Amino acid sequence: MANKKQYWSGLDELEGTEAFKELQGKEFPEPQSVDEFLSDERHDSTTSGRRDFLKFMGFSLTAATLAACETPVIKSIPYTNKPAEITPGVANYYASTYYDGMDYANVLVKTREGRPIFVKGNAATGIGAGKANVRVIGSVMSLYDKARLSGPTKNGEPVTWANLDSAMKAAISGAGRTVILSNTIVSPSTLKAISALGVEHIQYDAISYGALRSAQASAFGVDAIPTYDFTKAEVIVSIAADFLSSWLSSTQYAPDYASLRGPERGAQSKHYQFETAMSMTGTNADIRAMIKPSEEGKVASALLSALKGESISNLDSSTSSKVLAAAKALSGAKGKSIVIAGSNDLSTQIIVAAINQLLENYGNSIDLERPTSTHKGNEIAATQLIEDMNSGMISTLITYGCNPSYDMPNAKAFNSGLAKVKTSVCMNGVADETASRSTFVAPDHHYLESWNDLSLRSGRIDLVQPTIEPLFDTRSAQESFLVWSNAENTDWYTFLRRQYNESYTSDSLYSDSSWNSAIHDGYMSVAETKESPDYLATIDTSSASRKVAAVKGGNVELVTYVKATAGAGNHAANPMLQETPDPVSKVTWDNYVSMAKVDMEAMGLNTYFAQEDFASVVKVTVDGKSIELPAYLQPGQKPGTIGIALGYGRGANGENIGQAAFQTGQKGEHLMLDSGLPMPIGANAFPLTTRVDGNTIYANYNVSIEATGNEYPLACTQIHNTYMGRDSVVRETTFDSYLSESTKPKGEASWNMSHRLNVHEDTNHDGVIDARDKTKTGAFDLWKSHPIEEVGHRWGMTIDLTTCTGCSSCVTACNIENNVSVVGKDEVLRHRDMHWIRIDRYYASDFSLEKGEEEGVGVIDSYGRMEDPSENPQTVHMPMMCQHCNHAPCETVCPVAATTHSNEGLNQMTYNRCIGTRYCANNCPYKVRRFNWFNYKGYMKFANVNPAHDSLARLVLNPDVTVRARGVMEKCSMCIQRIQSGKLEAKKADTPVIDGAIVTACAESCPSNAITFGDLNDNGSQVRSISENNRSYHALEEIGVKPNIFYMTKVRNLDSNEA
Amino acid sequence: MIATKLDLTTMQRESSIREPLILGHKTYKDITDDVVAPIMGPASLGWKIMITISSIIAIYGIGSILYLIGTGIGAWGLNKTVGWAWDITNFVWWVGIGHAGTLISAVLLLFRQKWRMAINRSAEAMTIFAVIMAAVFPGIHMGRIWLAYYVFPLPNQFGSIWVNFNSPLLWDVFAISTYFSVSLVFWYVGLIPDFATIRDRMTKPFAKKMYGIMSFGWSGRAKHWTRFEELSLVLAGIATPLVFSVHSIVSMDFATSIIPGWHTTIFPPYFVSGAVFSGFAMVQTLMLVMRKAYKLEDYIHIKHVEYMNIVIIVTGSIVGVAYLTELFISWYSGVEYESYAFINRFSGPYSAAYWTMMTCNVISPQLFWFKKIRRSFVATFILSIVVNIGMWFERYVIIVTSLHRDYLPSSWGEFIPTATDIGVFIGTLGIFLTLFLAFTRFFPVLALNELKTILKSSGESYKNKQVK
Repeated sequence: MANKKQYWSGLDELEGTEAFKELQGKEFPEPQSVDEFLSDERHDSTTSGRRDFLKFMGFSLTAATLAACETPVIKSIPYTNKPAEITPGVANYYASTYYDGMDYANVLVKTREGRPIFVKGNAATGIGAGKANVRVIGSVMSLYDKARLSGPTKNGEPVTWANLDSAMKAAISGAGRTVILSNTIVSPSTLKAISALGVEHIQYDAISYGALRSAQASAFGVDAIPTYDFTKAEVIVSIAADFLSSWLSSTQYAPDYASLRGPERGAQSKHYQFETAMSMTGTNADIRAMIKPSEEGKVASALLSALKGESISNLDSSTSSKVLAAAKALSGAKGKSIVIAGSNDLSTQIIVAAINQLLENYGNSIDLERPTSTHKGNEIAATQLIEDMNSGMISTLITYGCNPSYDMPNAKAFNSGLAKVKTSVCMNGVADETASRSTFVAPDHHYLESWNDLSLRSGRIDLVQPTIEPLFDTRSAQESFLVWSNAENTDWYTFLRRQYNESYTSDSLYSDSSWNSAIHDGYMSVAETKESPDYLATIDTSSASRKVAAVKGGNVELVTYVKATAGAGNHAANPMLQETPDPVSKVTWDNYVSMAKVDMEAMGLNTYFAQEDFASVVKVTVDGKSIELPAYLQPGQKPGTIGIALGYGRGANGENIGQAAFQTGQKGEHLMLDSGLPMPIGANAFPLTTRVDGNTIYANYNVSIEATGNEYPLACTQIHNTYMGRDSVVRETTFDSYLSESTKPKGEASWNMSHRLNVHEDTNHDGVIDARDKTKTGAFDLWKSHPIEEVGHRWGMTIDLTTCTGCSSCVTACNIENNVSVVGKDEVLRHRDMHWIRIDRYYASDFSLEKGEEEGVGVIDSYGRMEDPSENPQTVHMPMMCQHCNHAPCETVCPVAATTHSNEGLNQMTYNRCIGTRYCANNCPYKVRRFNWFNYKGYMKFANVNPAHDSLARLVLNPDVTVRARGVMEKCSMCIQRIQSGKLEAKKADTPVIDGAIVTACAESCPSNAITFGDLNDNGSQVRSISENNRSYHALEEIGVKPNIFYMTKVRNLDSNEA
Repeated sequence: MIATKLDLTTMQRESSIREPLILGHKTYKDITDDVVAPIMGPASLGWKIMITISSIIAIYGIGSILYLIGTGIGAWGLNKTVGWAWDITNFVWWVGIGHAGTLISAVLLLFRQKWRMAINRSAEAMTIFAVIMAAVFPGIHMGRIWLAYYVFPLPNQFGSIWVNFNSPLLWDVFAISTYFSVSLVFWYVGLIPDFATIRDRMTKPFAKKMYGIMSFGWSGRAKHWTRFEELSLVLAGIATPLVFSVHSIVSMDFATSIIPGWHTTIFPPYFVSGAVFSGFAMVQTLMLVMRKAYKLEDYIHIKHVEYMNIVIIVTGSIVGVAYLTELFISWYSGVEYESYAFINRFSGPYSAAYWTMMTCNVISPQLFWFKKIRRSFVATFILSIVVNIGMWFERYVIIVTSLHRDYLPSSWGEFIPTATDIGVFIGTLGIFLTLFLAFTRFFPVLALNELKTILKSSGESYKNKQVK
């Protein structure tokens, strides 16, 4: 039944009066025209005078001003059409691969709302353990560098791609030689694209391994880098190869090496290191010998002699005895050892090849059938190219993936040659040394914007996929090659796809399931082609031995090395990596000359570096070339030698390679040279290297060094080097004594004895109460254990000091995951680095209080001498972050309860509540709390270093983590955002949180799996079982703060007479 | 037998051998004239010069504070290892100085020490200003001073957010604010009859009106005096425990922590005696200048100085014993962190500060055992400044040397003060001095009505003897 009710607006409508009908047609019942209003006479006689006007003005002005006082509006624009794969707030992960000529890693790229924000190793499908290293993790920052070129340029001026292409086509097809100079290209498709161009292609490597390859070629007939399998290496002898940090495929070696270091399996690999400067690898060695760089070949030769049972000479007694010990260990591990040398001297590498052959390592731990495809650089060809360029024979030079104007030892000659090349084009993404000297720059995509295929070894193709639309008007280098070639009328992606699917058309974008699954996994398996090395070939080492024996050392020998955080210079503008302390020296933002204490004292140089104690600047001269750098005291440095890191001194001619690449002063401003150019960080040490048999030797056997009298501040995150005999901080033992007590319960073994207090009770039941009656300190407690310590989750962590190599991947991963502020050199110098996790590096000291007592040295002097590390010290790396104490000293002292304990065992910070009294930081025994001294994201001092200042670089910030305000305390949250999302996932799946489903950034990035995170209340969790291991202990157990972080006693593979 | 005679008007005995408390043959009118002279007359040139200098310093200090608040705590030299340095040093130093006033007026009142009457007014004023200066530091040392109200247990809209009653910093908030308000009330109550006296003499109408308001209609009736006496006694009773509680609680900022060098049960008595020690020294410094500038030599004379010097010897010796006890316990405990903390104190990078502290606080006050030094204005003035320097270094040593090398050697660092550190500290000295100078100009610096009660109480016959 229809509703027939009627409603009226009033009686007028019901009655239908005329007045109502008239009004119905009008919009306003009572019309009033503006003219009428204004002409109203009453307005003329208004009483508002001048004073009223001013009052109204004042009021309006105040009202308008107050209305403007609002928090700035930050626009967040929703998707008009939401992309199918993006859910705001949910991260997507894409498998990709990192390769920069030096590091190779299978990675997973985390993107949020289309922005890559985190790069980590692809543990699921990566080669080996699928781990990244500190440089790869930090590489995400370089995507958002505003120094990146926004498009192609000609002589520094923007140019269109069309113009550049036509010029390049004309140049290539014109008269004269065209050469492509690149780093080692391991992409099959890129090589095809280059060959489509039909021009000469020369490869070189910033760090050359030519001698290693040539040695394999001459010994076994395969000119390639062997594949080393450290999971099979029970004995490792490294002669100056920093294989955990920078030598060859260190991303693979580090996890493999660590897999044999844990003593629980009843054995432990034994690692001998013979080296000059203290490398990160050297700090992990069981036995480390200090040698001069000129002795590297002699050590190899002596080792070979010792293995053959011959006598050894040419070496001092301490080195010889270590060589003999190494030989003994090696001969007991035939086929299960690896001997490597970092030297690029052919004779040394031939001897090393002979040693490995003698030890039957080839075919077992060393594989030359499936060699590694990196580092194929041809130094002789590159040198010839420079000559040709200088003689005007090259008309067109294309540089791709390399920076020869900076990193060639003879860069000066290259640069003068480059000026003579008619058309030069550089494909680097920033106007770096080479790009700014080239006619054209055709900027390549960042690797996170690119497609590519890479092959580290035969049988497997790793894929690089874009994770973001190109930010700038850049173009894939391969695309450029294809365009310039004319031969291929196709885009790079189609070209790449056709390598694997000849019938590919762009229509089948989503239908090719095998391609899609390869992209998902980040790799595809292809048919393997094996090399056929002759492992049994006779190697004649006599001439090599003669050559190495003839090497003459000088008074001062120089060794150059690659720093873990800087690489060969390509990370110079990365503020995250610049501020990550060097794993050994703990110096940030700088390059220095590492020296032995005796040499520094002889030269009268400063040996203590702190806020107001500056390093002395020294001048190092090689063949008329000299550089000035501060001298840094490096324990473990062979006296009579100095070490300088490569990869510094970038942008020396003011090239715009990124604002973080230059030195900043006390106000954060760029420091300027007298020439008006910004001051580069450190100095370029590539020109100081020498050449032997066409190979670059990264050392110099005779340099001169002199003090300049100048001083220079070095910003170290750690000033004090020893742990002062405090064995409740660091516990370490030898493998021998570990084995003898390996079955004892936790807290009972002599090397991990729980702290005990005397009690007035007969606890040992011997009938008398005396000093032997002790009870574990943990039994005494003012407080009752809280019931929530037993129920629900209790997040905790174990950190194994045995496997931690100090590589600092965790530091950089944590910084990026948690938006930790970069604060710049001046602030680090003031001890204000913001890192939530740091790696404490302690050197052993020769002295102890006990020794002082024996020798009759007073306590004060003993403490003083304990501050000095030994000449060649043993080293411990101890990752240190918030210990999430269950009885946290920080929590009780906060007046406003801004730091509290969660019911899941986390010590949590409430930034909004924090008023910044810093009492918590003072009361933290581990000193892990970090205070926001300034407004890092807004204060001008940090504009040159902190990514949050720049609207582009800001995109790298993790949206799940607050960027902390000035005046609040912050610290490790145990990646609470990851815990929360893991719990939500479990809740959605209606399951308990599965062990391993939640992992913190540090644990995830650790190449050696030294860090394990999990739920201590979960009986089946890995972290629970490790925490119950008898090696586990709490740092500073006796102060009773009951941390949720356990450390595992460090075990060195030493026997009693070596320790 | 000592001759004494009972003065029936004050019910007090007059000693013929004790030194009198007020010298010269003063009449009641003389006292009023002497005390109100600086208020009634024009400002002296010396006062003008002094207040100009102190205001300039004060403005510089306020500028430093504004710079600090505008920039961030990073303007100071603090770092990840040393989270407190000059800020809390200055705080504890000023609170310590603020101890003497209340001790003099309350404790000595309860013990019926009449000599306090000459110094209690300005000592109390010093206390008030010192506590204000002290209160500046916990405020500005906060990273986010604009949220300072979070430390008060205010009902709020944030949910169930409440302050943390476990935190010694919160106890500080209560202790300092209680101490400040009681001291202020006590001081003001004492001023009321004196304001009335000034009101009655004042000829300038505006000033007369102001003093009239401030004197709360005091008419000097017996009823008023009775109430005044009762209230003074009650306030003295309340204030006395506060003298001991404030610095005990301040010391708990350190004592309840776990940092070696801070974690010490001896701290509360040690801090209280240190506070009295430094407070009396500051009273001496100010009083010796004031008596000269305002010609109050007859009221504050060598007897007062000697009494105060005796307090300085006693408290200084207690402090010295506390230092040695700390050293002994650090060795006796056998705790390596504890013993290292103290070895580092006297032999480490900050040993100069430690030995300054030891010299100034332990050795220099022992000179007061010599009567000549104890009864010398010049020696007292110099030593009082030495003691205050020593007490500043004591707090600096406790705070900085304990923090800069604590448990993990990896975190060991150093603290180096910046210009802002120095500016803020000097600035508070300037503000303090400005306030004190203003006080001497507008307030009666001696408790003139109280003084009148002791005019005849002591040594009339002694004085007569002296005159002959």
